Amino acid sequence: MEVKLDKQYPLDVDATRAWALLTDLKAVASCMPGAEITEQLSDTSYKGAVKVKVGPAVAQFGGTVDVIEAVESERKMVLRGKGADKSGSSASMDLTAIITADPSNPAHCVLNGQAAVIVNGKFAQFGGRLMVQVSDMLLAQFVENFRQTALSLPTADGAPSDPAHDSASAKAPVVAREINGLAIFWSLVKSWFGGLLGKKV
Amino acid sequence: MNAPVLTVEARELALAGMGASRLRKEDARFIQGKGNYVDDIKMPGMLHMDIVRSPIAHGRIVKINKEAALAIPGVHAVLTADDLKPLKLHWMPTLAGDVAAVLADEKVHFQMQEVAIVIADDRYIAADAVEAVEVEYEELPVVMDPYAALQPGAPVVRDDLAGKTEGAHGKREHHNHIFTWDAGDKAAADAAFDKAEVTVSQHMYYPRVHPCPLETCGCVASFDPIKGELTTFITSQAPHIVRTVVSMLSGIPESKVRIVSPDIGGGFGNKVPIYPGYVCAIVASIVLGRPVKWVEDRIENISSTGFARDYHMDGELAATADGKITGLRVNVVADHGAFDACADPTKFPAGMFHIVSGSYDIPAAHASVKGVYTNKAPGGVAYRCSFRVTEAVYLIERMVDVLAQKLGMDKAEIRAKNFVKKEQFPYKSAFGFEFDSGDYQTALDKVLKAVDYKGLRAEQKAKRADPNSPTLMGIGLVTFTEVVGAGPSKICDILGVGMFDSCEIRIHPTGSAIARMGTISQGQGHQTTYAQIIATELGIPSEVIQVEEGDTSTAPYGLGTYGSRSTPVAGAAIAMAARKIHAKARKIAAHMLEVNENDLDWEVDRFKVKGDDSKFKTMAEVAWQAYHQPPAGLEPGLEAVHYYDPPNFTFPFGIYLCVVDIDRATGETKIRRFYALDDCGTRINPMIIEGQIHGGLTEGFAVAMGQQMPFDAQGNLLGNTLMDYFLPTFVETPHWETDHTVTPSPHHPLGAKGVAESPHVGSIPTFTSAVVDAFSHLGVTHLDMPHNAFRTWKALREHGASL
Repeated sequence: MEVKLDKQYPLDVDATRAWALLTDLKAVASCMPGAEITEQLSDTSYKGAVKVKVGPAVAQFGGTVDVIEAVESERKMVLRGKGADKSGSSASMDLTAIITADPSNPAHCVLNGQAAVIVNGKFAQFGGRLMVQVSDMLLAQFVENFRQTALSLPTADGAPSDPAHDSASAKAPVVAREINGLAIFWSLVKSWFGGLLGKKV
Repeated sequence: MNAPVLTVEARELALAGMGASRLRKEDARFIQGKGNYVDDIKMPGMLHMDIVRSPIAHGRIVKINKEAALAIPGVHAVLTADDLKPLKLHWMPTLAGDVAAVLADEKVHFQMQEVAIVIADDRYIAADAVEAVEVEYEELPVVMDPYAALQPGAPVVRDDLAGKTEGAHGKREHHNHIFTWDAGDKAAADAAFDKAEVTVSQHMYYPRVHPCPLETCGCVASFDPIKGELTTFITSQAPHIVRTVVSMLSGIPESKVRIVSPDIGGGFGNKVPIYPGYVCAIVASIVLGRPVKWVEDRIENISSTGFARDYHMDGELAATADGKITGLRVNVVADHGAFDACADPTKFPAGMFHIVSGSYDIPAAHASVKGVYTNKAPGGVAYRCSFRVTEAVYLIERMVDVLAQKLGMDKAEIRAKNFVKKEQFPYKSAFGFEFDSGDYQTALDKVLKAVDYKGLRAEQKAKRADPNSPTLMGIGLVTFTEVVGAGPSKICDILGVGMFDSCEIRIHPTGSAIARMGTISQGQGHQTTYAQIIATELGIPSEVIQVEEGDTSTAPYGLGTYGSRSTPVAGAAIAMAARKIHAKARKIAAHMLEVNENDLDWEVDRFKVKGDDSKFKTMAEVAWQAYHQPPAGLEPGLEAVHYYDPPNFTFPFGIYLCVVDIDRATGETKIRRFYALDDCGTRINPMIIEGQIHGGLTEGFAVAMGQQMPFDAQGNLLGNTLMDYFLPTFVETPHWETDHTVTPSPHHPLGAKGVAESPHVGSIPTFTSAVVDAFSHLGVTHLDMPHNAFRTWKALREHGASL
């Protein structure tokens, strides 16, 4: 089952810091709930793991992430991730992420992400209908973590980071470190009711 | 000694023979939860098997690591194709002349394919160990669409067939091509189209569906290493064929293989094939010397065992301007999945699809079916129908509607115009079938009158004139003919065994009896109805007649129960065996009454001397004599065996009418009325027939309105749980009205034709006919199934009919 995502997230972070974070794959991975880089295989290749918890069931995806392209001048990263869990699911993702500066506000930027995610096995069979919603949820959590981590980085001119976001928060993002199925479910219910009432949650 | 004098009617009633609505003997144990299904069977020392399955639809197996699984306490073995290779059991033959992987050999061909098995102390340990088996795959491009599969550069589904240009059914034209099967006369059909005043054509897709019996498939295999005997309890609709195949595969003499089908919770064709799980459990039992149980779960059942249908069909009709059909052409692309494992008589790769000329006198016809490999599970079973008859009936009934629409004729009128007439029977169809008997017009008239067809059409007209009508009204009509009771052994066989069936009857000294059969009930009520046949034939109350089937060590060899063959074939075997006994009983009675055999009349339960009602011997008295002191020159005992090879198929028919109201706002289809008239020839138990028809209509409703197996482009099956796969309950099921006519089969000893599948075969096109009829004034000629609310709502939007 294939899901295509094309998202733009405006951030209150300047483009330089956002790009600096984006090129640090280990740091980026830690922004993804439940994900971590476990081993660096080469300059562009990493081993990683994602833990998904749905109620009492825990699925652990192991796999690789490769940097296909990193273009400093365009602030563009192209990644390919592939993984599988032991109980019969596999997933792959081609992701292109670009940081564009906000011309009207140099302290802001936009994170553009385009991804093609292919999921096979049990996840596709049972989770198929929820794929888009779950992906949206995960990305929203990721972006919030990304934003906070980026804000905690020192700015390009060497000024200390935003006092509201000291460096400790980079190590402990505010959103759960594990993908929690119940939280996802609750969020889906909220957005569904929101949709019924005609507002965007 | 003589029984009390009762009237003929009272004695007939006491027999509860043919025609009686006798209550089902099976139900007492089922409704009390006392059935004995495969999963109820527990044996000392029994181990449990579970299966590691492929998460992907197509890929090479790079590595299988068993270590973690073997390290789990309670795990006895983990077996892969490499372990079966020395036994040459990693592949097995299919009923269709192909081979299928027992466990994936080097590559996987479809999602949920069997890759490895785990044997453990209990079911839970086995399931945990399955998760611990690590399989590394290298993914290959998948091909899910049979048309795409036939393109030159399409992914190769079957590497093992590389270079094989000759298949079991002729030449293979492409690496994913299985066979092309032709029936009828192409030149004659083409000529009819060249000369035709009117032609119509329609493409339609009959979706892949699954029979989904309540009980899934499974077995308990028990090999006794001391005696060298193998006993297997199995969910099989054809236990004797399983015994032959198991003996051939394992090398164990057939006399040391015992296959038992205990109570079976529904089959519907799903339990005809031999699945890898059975083979693996048997191998595991032989290897470990202990009984091994395997019972699949629901997801495994829907994902990997025999599906049905998946026919992409193009139909064409040629006709005169006033609606007389002159020619039929059909082209089918059949998606068989990764292995050709269709359960058809061996010589018929598309089963009885050539019944596609239907109830109509069509002088020229041709059909061509092309079988194709894709990355889907194998199957192609007859889901509550005779082999591929459902697809054929769907096509011809849809096409007649399309033609009627083009000509502006009424559906009933065009059918009546083209019917094979009563006086034309026996009728030879353009495809070579010899229809035994039928009276379609009488049946059609009865239905049209019962539902006030004219009134319905007037109501529909009025609704269409009202732009504010909240619903679209549709009327579906189908006048179908089935071909069942396979079949004459000169053309029908399974792996070389002729499709006869058998019965052995023993009358005991005190006048009760036991009958053993080559068939096996999966809900048909054989224990009830078979006894009724014997009761009428031999004058023994059905209450004291035991019917046993399913144990190959006691039952005579038979081909099993599917394709509505139990009554047409085994029912005939019962009558013939009973008549052998009857002939011997007559000799004994003549001896007892000291008259010539010819001076005896048979009356309900007794032989009586012509002209003297006081001189008679009942069958019970004759039975005692047979064991006590038989006449000189006659063997003691009273029993007979008969193997019945039917001279022809039987051709039950029916007229079905359905009225639907489609909600223009939601696309919801309400079945307002469904009237089903069936003619199955002689009726053995009207109550059971009624139940069979209700069940078949409900399953037809399921297929037409909701069942489908959707796949994504990567080959994931997106509907393999009962959350997604539609099984109607009483909540969804509409009310059924049933009716009948009786046109006996002239070649069947009882005149009976078989009934259980007619309502499934006949109802599915009726629902489509009704839904399409609701849209017909908008120029719509066809809508593919399933007619669920979402799809119907989309059609409403597309044709500007939504509110």
